[in-house]
Amino acid sequence: MPRGWWLRRRDYFLYMVREFTALPLALWLLWFLVEVQRASNGPKGYAAHGSPAFVVFSVICLGFALYHSVTFLMLFGVVTHIKGVPSRVIVLSQFALWLVASVVVAAVLIGFGR
Amino acid sequence: MRDRSAHAQKPAFAHMVWWFLFGGGGVVSAILLPVHVLVQGILGPLGVVPVVDRHYDTWVRVLSNPLVKLYLLVLIALPFFHFAHRLRYLLVDLGVPVARTLTAQVIFYGGAVAVTGVTIWVLLTTAPIG
Repeated sequence: MPRGWWLRRRDYFLYMVREFTALPLALWLLWFLVEVQRASNGPKGYAAHGSPAFVVFSVICLGFALYHSVTFLMLFGVVTHIKGVPSRVIVLSQFALWLVASVVVAAVLIGFGR
Repeated sequence: MRDRSAHAQKPAFAHMVWWFLFGGGGVVSAILLPVHVLVQGILGPLGVVPVVDRHYDTWVRVLSNPLVKLYLLVLIALPFFHFAHRLRYLLVDLGVPVARTLTAQVIFYGGAVAVTGVTIWVLLTTAPIG
Protein backbone atom coordinates (compact mmCIF):
# COMPACT_ATOMS: atom_id res chain seq x y z
CA MET A 1 0.00 0.00 0.00
CA PRO A 2 1.42 3.42 -0.90
CA ARG A 3 1.72 5.92 1.91
CA GLY A 4 -1.26 8.21 2.17
CA TRP A 5 -3.62 5.71 0.48
CA TRP A 6 -6.25 6.64 3.02
CA LEU A 7 -6.24 10.27 1.88
CA ARG A 8 -7.39 9.39 -1.63
CA ARG A 9 -10.98 8.47 -0.91
CA ARG A 10 -13.46 9.90 1.54
CA ASP A 11 -14.57 6.51 2.91
CA TYR A 12 -10.96 5.42 3.42
CA PHE A 13 -10.34 8.66 5.30
CA LEU A 14 -13.44 8.19 7.47
CA TYR A 15 -12.34 4.62 8.23
CA MET A 16 -9.03 5.98 9.52
CA VAL A 17 -10.85 8.64 11.56
CA ARG A 18 -12.89 5.83 13.12
CA GLU A 19 -9.70 4.00 14.12
CA PHE A 20 -8.17 7.26 15.36
CA THR A 21 -11.10 8.05 17.73
CA ALA A 22 -9.43 5.59 20.15
CA LEU A 23 -6.57 8.00 20.86
CA PRO A 24 -8.46 11.09 22.17
CA LEU A 25 -10.96 8.87 24.01
CA ALA A 26 -8.15 6.95 25.72
CA LEU A 27 -6.54 10.25 26.78
CA TRP A 28 -9.85 11.55 28.12
CA LEU A 29 -10.39 8.40 30.20
CA LEU A 30 -6.85 8.56 31.60
CA TRP A 31 -7.43 12.19 32.55
CA PHE A 32 -10.71 11.14 34.19
CA LEU A 33 -8.82 8.47 36.15
CA VAL A 34 -6.49 11.23 37.40
CA GLU A 35 -9.55 13.09 38.71
CA VAL A 36 -10.76 9.95 40.51
CA GLN A 37 -7.31 9.56 42.07
CA ARG A 38 -7.28 13.20 43.21
CA ALA A 39 -10.17 12.40 45.55
CA SER A 40 -7.62 10.64 47.77
CA ASN A 41 -5.85 14.00 48.37
CA GLY A 42 -8.46 15.13 50.88
CA PRO A 43 -10.85 18.11 50.67
CA LYS A 44 -8.07 20.69 50.31
CA GLY A 45 -6.03 18.75 47.80
CA TYR A 46 -8.96 17.96 45.53
CA ALA A 47 -9.58 19.95 42.37
CA ALA A 48 -11.95 18.91 39.59
CA HIS A 49 -10.79 19.38 36.01
CA GLY A 50 -12.10 22.71 34.87
CA SER A 51 -9.50 24.61 32.87
CA PRO A 52 -10.53 26.13 29.52
CA ALA A 53 -8.05 23.77 27.85
CA PHE A 54 -9.81 20.77 29.40
CA VAL A 55 -13.21 22.01 28.20
CA VAL A 56 -11.87 22.53 24.65
CA PHE A 57 -10.29 19.08 24.77
CA SER A 58 -13.61 17.61 25.95
CA VAL A 59 -15.49 19.31 23.11
CA ILE A 60 -13.08 17.74 20.60
CA CYS A 61 -13.39 14.38 22.41
CA LEU A 62 -17.19 14.60 22.34
CA GLY A 63 -17.06 14.83 18.55
CA PHE A 64 -14.85 11.74 18.33
CA ALA A 65 -16.93 9.93 20.97
CA LEU A 66 -20.17 10.54 19.04
CA TYR A 67 -18.51 9.40 15.82
CA HIS A 68 -17.33 6.21 17.52
CA SER A 69 -20.80 5.61 19.01
CA VAL A 70 -22.69 6.05 15.73
CA THR A 71 -20.29 3.97 13.61
CA PHE A 72 -19.87 1.26 16.23
CA LEU A 73 -23.56 0.83 17.05
CA MET A 74 -24.48 0.71 13.34
CA LEU A 75 -21.77 -1.86 12.64
CA PHE A 76 -22.62 -3.87 15.73
CA GLY A 77 -26.26 -3.97 14.63
CA VAL A 78 -25.27 -5.25 11.21
CA VAL A 79 -23.02 -8.04 12.50
CA THR A 80 -25.45 -9.11 15.23
CA HIS A 81 -27.84 -11.72 13.89
CA ILE A 82 -31.00 -12.64 15.75
CA LYS A 83 -33.30 -15.00 13.87
CA GLY A 84 -36.46 -13.30 12.64
CA VAL A 85 -35.39 -9.81 13.72
CA PRO A 86 -34.42 -7.42 10.91
CA SER A 87 -31.01 -5.77 11.43
CA ARG A 88 -32.68 -2.35 11.24
CA VAL A 89 -34.63 -3.17 14.42
CA ILE A 90 -31.43 -4.31 16.17
CA VAL A 91 -29.63 -1.10 15.20
CA LEU A 92 -32.58 1.03 16.34
CA SER A 93 -32.83 -0.80 19.68
CA GLN A 94 -29.12 -0.19 20.27
CA PHE A 95 -29.56 3.52 19.61
CA ALA A 96 -32.50 3.44 22.04
CA LEU A 97 -30.27 1.72 24.63
CA TRP A 98 -27.62 4.41 24.08
CA LEU A 99 -30.24 7.13 24.66
CA VAL A 100 -31.64 5.52 27.82
CA ALA A 101 -28.15 4.87 29.26
CA SER A 102 -27.13 8.48 28.56
CA VAL A 103 -30.22 9.87 30.31
CA VAL A 104 -29.68 7.61 33.34
CA VAL A 105 -25.95 8.45 33.64
CA ALA A 106 -26.62 12.19 33.21
CA ALA A 107 -29.36 12.03 35.87
CA VAL A 108 -26.98 10.36 38.34
CA LEU A 109 -24.05 12.70 37.60
CA ILE A 110 -26.24 15.79 37.93
CA GLY A 111 -28.57 14.46 40.63
CA PHE A 112 -25.77 13.74 43.09
CA GLY A 113 -24.08 17.09 42.42
CA ARG A 114 -24.68 20.32 44.27
CA MET B 1 -5.58 -36.70 17.45
CA ARG B 2 -7.12 -35.67 20.77
CA ASP B 3 -3.90 -33.91 21.62
CA ARG B 4 -4.04 -31.88 18.42
CA SER B 5 -7.61 -30.72 18.93
CA ALA B 6 -6.74 -29.63 22.48
CA HIS B 7 -3.93 -27.52 21.05
CA ALA B 8 -6.23 -26.06 18.45
CA GLN B 9 -8.85 -25.10 21.03
CA LYS B 10 -6.50 -23.21 23.29
CA PRO B 11 -5.70 -20.30 20.94
CA ALA B 12 -9.33 -20.25 19.87
CA PHE B 13 -10.39 -19.71 23.48
CA ALA B 14 -7.78 -16.98 23.99
CA HIS B 15 -8.98 -15.39 20.77
CA MET B 16 -12.54 -15.42 22.06
CA VAL B 17 -11.52 -13.73 25.31
CA TRP B 18 -9.70 -10.95 23.43
CA TRP B 19 -12.62 -10.50 21.04
CA PHE B 20 -15.01 -10.32 23.98
CA LEU B 21 -12.84 -7.62 25.59
CA PHE B 22 -12.57 -5.79 22.25
CA GLY B 23 -16.31 -5.93 21.59
CA GLY B 24 -17.25 -5.17 25.19
CA GLY B 25 -14.92 -2.19 25.24
CA GLY B 26 -16.47 -0.96 22.01
CA VAL B 27 -20.00 -1.23 23.40
CA VAL B 28 -19.13 0.40 26.73
CA SER B 29 -17.33 3.33 25.12
CA ALA B 30 -20.10 3.77 22.52
CA ILE B 31 -22.97 3.74 24.99
CA LEU B 32 -21.45 5.43 28.06
CA LEU B 33 -18.59 7.67 27.02
CA PRO B 34 -20.34 10.57 25.22
CA VAL B 35 -22.55 11.43 28.20
CA HIS B 36 -19.57 11.44 30.59
CA VAL B 37 -17.56 13.69 28.26
CA LEU B 38 -20.54 16.02 27.81
CA VAL B 39 -21.59 16.28 31.47
CA GLN B 40 -18.21 16.05 33.25
CA GLY B 41 -16.01 17.57 30.57
CA ILE B 42 -18.21 20.42 29.32
CA LEU B 43 -21.43 21.14 31.25
CA GLY B 44 -19.89 20.68 34.73
CA PRO B 45 -16.76 22.84 34.22
CA LEU B 46 -18.86 25.55 32.53
CA GLY B 47 -21.27 25.57 35.48
CA VAL B 48 -24.32 24.83 33.34
CA VAL B 49 -25.50 22.12 35.73
CA PRO B 50 -24.30 20.86 39.12
CA VAL B 51 -22.16 17.74 38.62
CA VAL B 52 -21.10 15.23 41.23
CA ASP B 53 -17.33 15.52 40.63
CA ARG B 54 -17.18 19.34 41.01
CA HIS B 55 -16.96 19.16 44.82
CA TYR B 56 -14.89 16.91 47.04
CA ASP B 57 -17.71 15.87 49.41
CA THR B 58 -20.20 14.82 46.72
CA TRP B 59 -17.48 13.10 44.68
CA VAL B 60 -16.06 11.07 47.60
CA ARG B 61 -19.55 10.04 48.68
CA VAL B 62 -20.33 8.38 45.34
CA LEU B 63 -16.77 7.03 44.94
CA SER B 64 -17.08 5.13 48.22
CA ASN B 65 -19.98 3.12 46.82
CA PRO B 66 -18.78 -0.34 45.69
CA LEU B 67 -21.24 -0.38 42.78
CA VAL B 68 -19.81 2.94 41.55
CA LYS B 69 -16.30 1.49 41.81
CA LEU B 70 -17.35 -1.52 39.75
CA TYR B 71 -19.03 0.74 37.20
CA LEU B 72 -15.95 2.97 36.92
CA LEU B 73 -13.72 -0.08 36.46
CA VAL B 74 -15.85 -1.20 33.52
CA LEU B 75 -16.15 2.35 32.15
CA ILE B 76 -12.43 3.14 32.31
CA ALA B 77 -10.63 -0.19 31.81
CA LEU B 78 -12.73 -2.12 29.28
CA PRO B 79 -12.52 0.50 26.47
CA PHE B 80 -8.72 0.25 26.55
CA PHE B 81 -8.90 -3.29 25.16
CA HIS B 82 -10.89 -1.82 22.27
CA PHE B 83 -8.61 1.19 21.87
CA ALA B 84 -5.43 -0.95 21.97
CA HIS B 85 -6.66 -3.02 19.05
CA ARG B 86 -7.77 -0.02 17.03
CA LEU B 87 -4.59 1.96 17.57
CA ARG B 88 -2.40 -1.01 16.67
CA TYR B 89 -4.34 -1.42 13.42
CA LEU B 90 -4.21 2.32 12.80
CA LEU B 91 -0.42 1.98 12.77
CA VAL B 92 -0.63 -1.10 10.53
CA ASP B 93 -2.87 0.83 8.13
CA LEU B 94 -0.52 3.80 8.19
CA GLY B 95 2.21 1.46 6.94
CA VAL B 96 4.12 0.78 10.16
CA PRO B 97 5.03 -2.91 9.81
CA VAL B 98 6.42 -3.11 13.37
CA ALA B 99 2.82 -2.84 14.62
CA ARG B 100 2.22 -6.41 13.39
CA THR B 101 4.94 -7.96 15.54
CA LEU B 102 4.44 -9.90 18.74
CA THR B 103 6.30 -7.16 20.63
CA ALA B 104 3.77 -4.58 19.46
CA GLN B 105 0.91 -6.86 20.52
CA VAL B 106 2.45 -7.29 23.95
CA ILE B 107 2.89 -3.50 24.29
CA PHE B 108 -0.63 -2.58 23.15
CA TYR B 109 -2.67 -5.32 24.85
CA GLY B 110 -0.30 -5.35 27.80
CA GLY B 111 -0.93 -1.61 28.04
CA ALA B 112 -4.66 -2.29 28.35
CA VAL B 113 -3.96 -4.82 31.10
CA ALA B 114 -1.71 -2.27 32.84
CA VAL B 115 -4.43 0.41 32.68
CA THR B 116 -6.85 -2.13 34.20
CA GLY B 117 -4.39 -2.78 37.05
CA VAL B 118 -3.85 0.93 37.71
CA THR B 119 -7.61 1.57 37.62
CA ILE B 120 -8.25 -1.19 40.17
CA TRP B 121 -5.48 0.22 42.37
CA VAL B 122 -6.85 3.79 42.16
CA LEU B 123 -10.41 2.67 42.90
CA LEU B 124 -9.31 0.61 45.91
CA THR B 125 -7.06 3.32 47.38
CA THR B 126 -9.43 6.25 46.76
CA ALA B 127 -12.50 6.84 48.94
CA PRO B 128 -12.60 3.60 51.00
CA ILE B 129 -15.81 1.62 50.76
CA GLY B 130 -18.10 2.82 53.51
